Amino acid sequence: MSLCQNRLQEERKQWRKDHPFGFYARPQKTPQGVLDLKVWECGIPGKAGTIWEGGLFKLIVAFPDEYPTKPPKCKFSPPLFHPNVYPSGTVCLSILNEEEAWKPAITIKQILLGVQDLLDDPNPESPAQAEAYNMFKKDRVEYERRIKRVVRENAAP
Amino acid sequence: MEPLPLPTSLAEVEALIRELYRPFQPDVARIQDVLHRLQKSPEGWQLAQTLITHREDEIRFFAALTLMIKLNRDSASLSEDDAKGLLESIINWTIQSMQDGAGPIVTRKLCSALVTYFVHFSHLWPNCVHHFIYCLDLGRGTRADAVDDALASNILVDKLDRPKLRVAVWFAITLVEEVGKTDMNSAAYSELHTRLVKNGADVVSLLARGLSPPSDNHPELKIQQDALSCYLAWILYGQRANSNIDLLVTPLRQLVDLAMQCFADQQLLHATAELFSDVLSNYSGFFTPEHYSSLATLFDSQWAAQHYEQLVHGNHTEDGIAFGLFLLAYGDATVHDLVKATDDRSRRFLARLSGLLAADGYLVGEDMIFVPALEFWLTYIETTIDCTYSDEEADVAIWKPYAEEHLKAVIMNCWRKVQWPPAEVFAEWDQNERANFGDARKDVADMLQSVFTLEGLNLISYFTELFLQSLATQSWSELEATIFCLSSLSDCVSEEDDRYDEDLAKVFASGLFDLLSEAQGPIPLRLRQTALSLIERYNEYFERHSEFLPNALNLLFAAVGDPVLGGPAARSISTLCSSCRTILTGEAGAFISHYQTIRNRQVLDSLAEEKIILAIASVIQSIPSEDLRLQTFEQLYDILKKDLQLAVQLKSQPEILDLSHPMFLRGYEVTDPQKVPGPQEIALQIALRSMRCLASMAKGMQDVKEYPIDLESDGPQARPVNQKLSGLQTDIMSALFNIQRTFSACSEAVETICHIFKAGFSETEPGPFVFPPSVITDYFVQQPFGTPRLGALLSTACSFVGSLYRGPRAYVPSQLARLLPWVVGLLQTLQVPENDTEISQNGICFVDKVMAKYPDVLFQLSSPQLEFFFLYTIKVLQGKEPLPKSASADFWSNFISLKPEDPSLAATVSSAMTHLGPLIAQTLVSNIGGNAARSELDKLSEPLKKLVTQQVQAQQWLEAALSDESGGVFPAGERVSLSERWAFVKKVIGLRGARQTNQVVRDFWLLCRGQNFAYVS
Repeated sequence: MSLCQNRLQEERKQWRKDHPFGFYARPQKTPQGVLDLKVWECGIPGKAGTIWEGGLFKLIVAFPDEYPTKPPKCKFSPPLFHPNVYPSGTVCLSILNEEEAWKPAITIKQILLGVQDLLDDPNPESPAQAEAYNMFKKDRVEYERRIKRVVRENAAP
Repeated sequence: MEPLPLPTSLAEVEALIRELYRPFQPDVARIQDVLHRLQKSPEGWQLAQTLITHREDEIRFFAALTLMIKLNRDSASLSEDDAKGLLESIINWTIQSMQDGAGPIVTRKLCSALVTYFVHFSHLWPNCVHHFIYCLDLGRGTRADAVDDALASNILVDKLDRPKLRVAVWFAITLVEEVGKTDMNSAAYSELHTRLVKNGADVVSLLARGLSPPSDNHPELKIQQDALSCYLAWILYGQRANSNIDLLVTPLRQLVDLAMQCFADQQLLHATAELFSDVLSNYSGFFTPEHYSSLATLFDSQWAAQHYEQLVHGNHTEDGIAFGLFLLAYGDATVHDLVKATDDRSRRFLARLSGLLAADGYLVGEDMIFVPALEFWLTYIETTIDCTYSDEEADVAIWKPYAEEHLKAVIMNCWRKVQWPPAEVFAEWDQNERANFGDARKDVADMLQSVFTLEGLNLISYFTELFLQSLATQSWSELEATIFCLSSLSDCVSEEDDRYDEDLAKVFASGLFDLLSEAQGPIPLRLRQTALSLIERYNEYFERHSEFLPNALNLLFAAVGDPVLGGPAARSISTLCSSCRTILTGEAGAFISHYQTIRNRQVLDSLAEEKIILAIASVIQSIPSEDLRLQTFEQLYDILKKDLQLAVQLKSQPEILDLSHPMFLRGYEVTDPQKVPGPQEIALQIALRSMRCLASMAKGMQDVKEYPIDLESDGPQARPVNQKLSGLQTDIMSALFNIQRTFSACSEAVETICHIFKAGFSETEPGPFVFPPSVITDYFVQQPFGTPRLGALLSTACSFVGSLYRGPRAYVPSQLARLLPWVVGLLQTLQVPENDTEISQNGICFVDKVMAKYPDVLFQLSSPQLEFFFLYTIKVLQGKEPLPKSASADFWSNFISLKPEDPSLAATVSSAMTHLGPLIAQTLVSNIGGNAARSELDKLSEPLKKLVTQQVQAQQWLEAALSDESGGVFPAGERVSLSERWAFVKKVIGLRGARQTNQVVRDFWLLCRGQNFAYVS
C-alpha cells in the first residue's frame, strides 16, 4: 500500500479511537460501496460560547496522492460565509498551505480543530471572499447577524 | 519580574530546592530559573556530587537531574579518565540509593542519568547492561572494562536479589526509551544504536528472570509488571531497528512464552493483555506462526472462556476491556486468515468476536467494547469484500457461507444495540453519552453499507422481514432500529434500480403509515421521526411509485407544525416535491391550501416555511400549461404579497399591531425574551420573512431541465409576451421596490433581492422571476451609493452580465452601456479602494467582464470616467487589499492582451497602452520588488507575462521602473544591485510568458526582501 493510503488508514484508526466532541470524519464511499480513503466527509461544530455555537458545518477533505508530503484540500460544502473561505468553499488556512505551515505530522484531528478555531477567529490578513471579509471589517453587527443565520441553516442535529 | 539572586551557600540551595517542589508553589518559574543557572554553571558537577548523598529524596532527585543536565551540556569537556570515573561514581550512587532507603524516584532518576551517560559515552560503556548487572551483583561501581572478567549475564541475573533485579529492569526500560528517541538514521547516533542493539542478549537474560513468576510465592508483582513494560519497549524498538533482526528480535522472541504465562496471574492480566494487543496491532510480524497457534489455543481455553463471559456480562473495568481488546487485536492481526477460515476453532473465535457486539449494557456509556469490536468487524467486512473480488470463485464459494453466517450475527447484534433506551434512561445520559450513542449508530450505518456491497438485495429483504415482524408485534424500539437500518441503506439503492421495489413496497404499503397519520396514535416521537426521514431517504422510490406519494406527503405536511418534527418534515417535503415535481403537478392547489391552513393555525418556523414554499414552487414550475402555471403561482404569491403589504402598512401605522393575530406574530421572533420588539421591528421581521419566502419561491421556480439557447435570436421581443406573466413581473418588482424603500436601511432586504434576481439569471425559459434585462438594469442604475450592501448588488450585477452573455446577443451592449457608468460612478464615489473592498473588487470584476466581450462599450465611457478607472485599478494594484488587488491583476492581464478587430478601437487601445504601460510596469516592479505579499506573486505574474508577450516596449518599461533609486518605485534599491535587476528582466523577457516566470518572480521577490523571508522547512 502507498504511503498515502497507509497514513490515511492510520488516521482513520486514530480518529475512531479518539476524536473531539461533536465532530465527525469518515471516508466517503464510492457508488460501489467501497471506501475511498482519499476523500473524507467531515463535520465541524461551532465552538461553544461563540456565535458559531449550535452549527455543524460539512467539510470535504480531499487528500492528494502526495499526502502527507502535501496537505489535503478542505472545502466547505456548501460554501461557507466566512472571511477565509473562498467562494468555492475552499478554506484558506496556513496549516493547509504547503508553502506555509503544513507539516506531514499534522493529523486530521488537528486540521479539523484548526478549522474550528478559524470559524470564530478569522484571519483578516488573508481574505478569501470579499463579502464576509468586508462585512467582518466594516459592520460587525451585520456580520454577526449573518453568522447567526448561517448557524441556523446548518444547525447540528 | 526580577530574577532571584544566586544562592551563596549550600543551605540556601537546599532551601530553594525544597521550595521548588513545594505543592502549589506560586514562584516556580523564578526558582527554576535560578536553580537552572546554577546547574549550568561550572560548579554544577560539584553541586550534584555534594547533594547526591543528601538524606532528602527531593534534593537527591535534583542532584541526579543536575548530573543529566551537565552530561547533556558539558560532556565534551570531560577527559576520558574523568568520564570513566564518573560512570563508576554514578553506579555507586545508584546502588547506594537503593540500599540506603531512598525513594524510587531517586533511584529511577539515577538510572536515567546512567542512560544519559550511555548516550554520550557509549564507546566507553558498550556492554552497559551486562556491566550494570555485574556491579549490582558486586554491590558497587567498577570501571567498565571490569566486565571482561565477569560471569555471563544470565548467571549474574540469577544471583540478584529482587530490589537489585528491579533496578536493573528500570535501567533497561529507560535505556531503550531514551536511546530510541534519538534519530536512528542520523550519522551522529548510528554507533549508539549499534551498541544498544548489542546489549539485546543481556536484556533478554534479564527479562527471562524478570518475567518469571517468583519462586517463593512472595508478591514480586512489581518486577513482573515492569518487566512486561520493558519487554514491550524493546520489541517496539526492535521493530524500528529492523536491520538487526538476528541480534535483537530473534532473542526477544524467545520470551514470548514466558510473557504469555503472565496471563495466569490475574493481577498481571491488564499489563500482559496490553503488551500482546500492542504488539499484535503494531508489529504483528514479531510473533511466529507457533506463537499465533499458542494464542489461538489460549483463546480456546477454559481461562479465556471465563474471562470472555465476564466481559460480555458487564465486566468493563480495565481488565475486562483489556482482555476484549486483546481478542480484537488478535482478530485484526489475523483477519485475512479468519475471513477464509472454515475450521471449528476459528469459527468459535469469530463467534466470540461477534458476541462482543452483544455485551450487556447500553452503548456507549456502559458497553465500552462495542465500538472497538465494530471497528474489527468493519475491517473484517472490508477484507471479505477484497477477497471476494480477488480470490477464485470456487474458493470463495467454500468460505463465503461461513463469513455470511458471522455477518448475520453481527447485523443482528448491532440491530439490537442501536435500539434507543427507554426515555427515562436516556434522560439520565449526559451530552457526551448521547453524542457517543449517535456516533455509534452512524458507525453501524457505515457497517451496513459495507455489508450491502456483499449482500445487496438480501440485506434489504432481511430488514423488510424484520420490519414486518416488529410492526406486527408493535415493538416500537425494534421497529425504530429496523427503519434506521433501512434508511442507512438508501444511498446504496441506486437511482432507477427497481430490484428492491418489491421489498420496499412491503414497507411503504404497510400499516405503519396509517398509524403515523393518527394524530394521537401510539407511535412514539422518535419512531415517528425516523419513519418520516425514511420517506425522504427513499425519495427516488416515490418517483417510481407515485401511488405512495400523496400519502407520504400528507403525513409530512401533518408533521410540519410539530416543534421537533417540523424542520425535518419540511426538508423531506422539499426533497420529495423537488424530485417528484412532474408527478405532483395536480396536487399544487392542495399543497397551497395545506400551507394556508397551517399558517392560519400557527406561526411556522421560518426556515421550515421557506422549505415548504420552495417545495410548492418547484411543483408549480412543472405544471405544463402556462396559464394554469401562472394562475397557481399567483395563488401562492398572493399569500406572500399580503404579508409584504402588511409589513409596509405596519411600518407607517404602528397602531394596527395586534399580537393576538398570527399574521403579526410572524414578525415576532423571540431572539431575546427580555426584549419585546416594537411595531417597527415586527414590521421589518414580517417583511424579511416574506422576502426570504419569495426568494425560496424564486429558487423553486428554477427549471431543472435544460433548453437550447439561440444566441443569434433577436432577443425577447421575438417571443409573444404573455400578459399575465408580465403583469406578475411588474407586480413583484414593485413589491420589491416598495419593501426596499420602506426599509431603506435594511441590508438583508437588499441581499434577498439579490438572491431573487440571481435565481432568475440562470433560467433560459420565461418565468415570473425571469425579468426582462431592461427591468433589472433599471433597478440597478437607480441604486445610489448609500444603498446598503452595495457590494452584494455589484456582485449580482456581475452575475447579471454572465446571464446576459448566455442569452441572445441583440440587447447586450445597450444594457452594458447603461450599467457601466453606474458601476464606475460608484467606484468614483468610493474613492479609497480600502473603504469597501467588496465594492472595489466586484466593481473591477464587472468592468473586466464587460471588457472581455465588449471592449467597445468600455471605451464609450466618458474620458474622465475611463481615466479614473484606469488609474483607480493601478492604485488598487499598488495597494494592500488582496481581493481587489487580485481582481485588478486579472483586469490588467486581460487589458494588456486586448486585441480588438475593429481598427479604430485597436488604435485607441494601443494608444492607451502607450500611456499606461510604464505605469503598469512600475506597479508590478514595486510589488515584485518586495511590496507584495508572497501569496500574491502568482497572481501578479500574470499581467507581467502578458506584458512580455504582448507589448514590444515591455523590456524598456520594466528597466525604466527597475532603475529607480529613489525607493518610490523599486523598494529594494539598496539591497539589489543593478546587474541583478537587469538579470531579472533578461530572464523574464527570455521566458516569453512561460510558466517558469512565476518562479523567477518568486526568486527575485525573495532577493529583494532578503533571505530571512524564506520559509523554514
